[in-house]
Amino acid sequence: MTTLFTSQKFRRTAVQVMFVTVVVLLILAMIIVGRTNIADQGIATGFGFLNQTTGWPVSFSLTDVGPRSTYTQVLFAGLLNTLLVGFMTLFFATLLGLFLALMRISSNSLMKLVGTTYVEVFRNVPVILQVFFWYAILTHLPGPRQAYSLADMAFFSNRGLMLPAPSLSGLDIVLFLIGCVAIGFGLKSFKFKKTGLRLPLAILAAVALFVVLLMTGREADVALWSVPELKGLRFVGGVSLKPEFSALLIGLTLFGASYIGEIIRGGLISVDKGKLEAGSALGMSSFQINRYIRIPLAFRAMLPSLSNQYVWLMKGTTVGIAIGYPDYFAIVSTSINQSGQTMELLALLMGGFIVVNYSIGFAMNLLNSRLKLKGRS
Amino acid sequence: MLNKLMKLATVASLAFAGATSAQAQDEGVLGEIKARDSLLCTGHNGSYLGFAEVDAQGEWQGFDIEMCRALATAILGSPDKAQIIPISWAQRFPAIQSGDIDVIIKVTGWTMTRDTELGLQYSRPYFIGPFYVMSRSDLSAESISDLAGGVFCVNAGTTVERVLADYMETNGIEYQPLSFEKGEELRAALYAGRCDAIAGFGPFLSSTRVNAPNPDDFTIIGDVIKLEPEGIVVRQGEDDFLDVINWMVTALLLAEENGITSENVDEMKANPPSATVERLLGVTPGVGTRLGLQDDWAYNVIKTVGNYGQIYDRTVGDGSRYKLPRGLNNLWNNGGLLYPLVLD
Repeated sequence: MTTLFTSQKFRRTAVQVMFVTVVVLLILAMIIVGRTNIADQGIATGFGFLNQTTGWPVSFSLTDVGPRSTYTQVLFAGLLNTLLVGFMTLFFATLLGLFLALMRISSNSLMKLVGTTYVEVFRNVPVILQVFFWYAILTHLPGPRQAYSLADMAFFSNRGLMLPAPSLSGLDIVLFLIGCVAIGFGLKSFKFKKTGLRLPLAILAAVALFVVLLMTGREADVALWSVPELKGLRFVGGVSLKPEFSALLIGLTLFGASYIGEIIRGGLISVDKGKLEAGSALGMSSFQINRYIRIPLAFRAMLPSLSNQYVWLMKGTTVGIAIGYPDYFAIVSTSINQSGQTMELLALLMGGFIVVNYSIGFAMNLLNSRLKLKGRS
Repeated sequence: MLNKLMKLATVASLAFAGATSAQAQDEGVLGEIKARDSLLCTGHNGSYLGFAEVDAQGEWQGFDIEMCRALATAILGSPDKAQIIPISWAQRFPAIQSGDIDVIIKVTGWTMTRDTELGLQYSRPYFIGPFYVMSRSDLSAESISDLAGGVFCVNAGTTVERVLADYMETNGIEYQPLSFEKGEELRAALYAGRCDAIAGFGPFLSSTRVNAPNPDDFTIIGDVIKLEPEGIVVRQGEDDFLDVINWMVTALLLAEENGITSENVDEMKANPPSATVERLLGVTPGVGTRLGLQDDWAYNVIKTVGNYGQIYDRTVGDGSRYKLPRGLNNLWNNGGLLYPLVLD
């Protein structure tokens, strides 16, 4: 018996088991207490309300929802809104961030100054203020009747940016996206004698596919392009970028780019100078050095902090609630108010963000392990 | 093991709920208020002009705030014992469920979900809220259907959101909704021209118009889209407390019906014109003891905050900058919908 207690291995295991037991018991107790308290207050609980209709509309959604949609449908639309603005933010912020990083490490002192000023300004102003700022600018534009127009095809007003759009159905768009991916894979496996042909050929194939989809499967009297047109109080036709969406996207992108730029810059300067010199000794051009040596090496160094930043930016979309963009958080908040099912909806809110953010983290980790230097570096 | 778990749960529940829940089982929230010597009442996270707003001296003002003060006076004898807790629209139900506040007086519409599923109960309506649409004057719309296709802005999570959707669907009018979490953002969007119209509670619209850079830019369209009764909300099972609230509202209305104001209440008490006034002002006993209060509670309320008409006039009516007509919030004998209960 004494030997059991003097055994370090046993003591360590015992402590760990006890710790886990206490944590599990605490969580159980919290759930039990929570349920009893809620039941005592006579509040209806459970997820049954998800099948009830909401009775309120959502101002912007990718799926077709209205006052007669159920809470499930509306919450899903909210999640899609978050993902839409989130992934677009990640994409644009990364592009702009890369550009900023290159400016800051360039030898041109003017570029350096511009890059540094940008980063210092946008990194140090709270993101919600930036979003408010862009929203104020976009909503103080002239009204729809006095909209700025470009050749009567595109209009810019305080109702957003209206652009002409090809009359493609949802199915057409899906087919087009699938087609593009197929073209990409097809051309990749195809061996070209002159590699320079690959990109133009891909673009050509995509355009051809687009035209085919545009011309086929349409009703006789529908125009090929839908052009926005002022009818009464609003523009009909085309696609519109609502100010709420644009302001959130611009604000988050500009803010996120300053952080991502710094992460990329850190990655780029972490690359050993000797390796770059080795490249130039081999007679590579500076483009080739960047493309084949610096960026791949830098990418590995910055991936961990980059995935962190991506997760952070995705969470940052929640400021949309302040300017009326119906993101997941805003929809959950309205649902809580309308249905009163606070606990359930908060659980769904947390669950939704955990799934989204964990997926980002997971994808980045996957990328990281694929890119990890194998063997000696 | 199970026994231990239950013990643990009890300990944890005490830690979570604090001492208040133990007390609540004894005397209810009315007892808690008396023991604490203050009433925890709702304010607003920004301002809801005319109903809950902070004035230049940093004091809470408005119709709902005055009702809180009247209730505090009825129970505790002084309007200063109403403690106004700033709270957003969305927070009010979780806040009362968790006991952070005693009562919701925050122009809260009486809806079936709130009444049946949230563990709440309502007082009889203390305010009749008509919903209107206010549009930009330059659109020269005369009815809501003239605004078809326009952008309608509303406060997120309020009944207006649903009421407007219902009205538009019933009348086959197409519109683009846009909802904002805070009144300030909604107003900013309206003034900037992002919205063609806003829908809302009449008082809210008129206060929004008063504060516009140029009030003439906005017109309230005559169509009433819905009438909403606003009640005072307490937790389910607080029947004694609800009795006090209902009779407090009746006292304010009775005072107006009988022409008792904060100025002449002493005179009336010394020389009551009718048996009802005699009972109301506590000249003959009964008005207090039956509610577990002092017999002079109604007298105190009228003395300090005035009658219903005085409160209305001071906060949202002609005596305020909002100049909201009494309309349906008049007494029954003046063409309104309000009436006192019978004080026998």
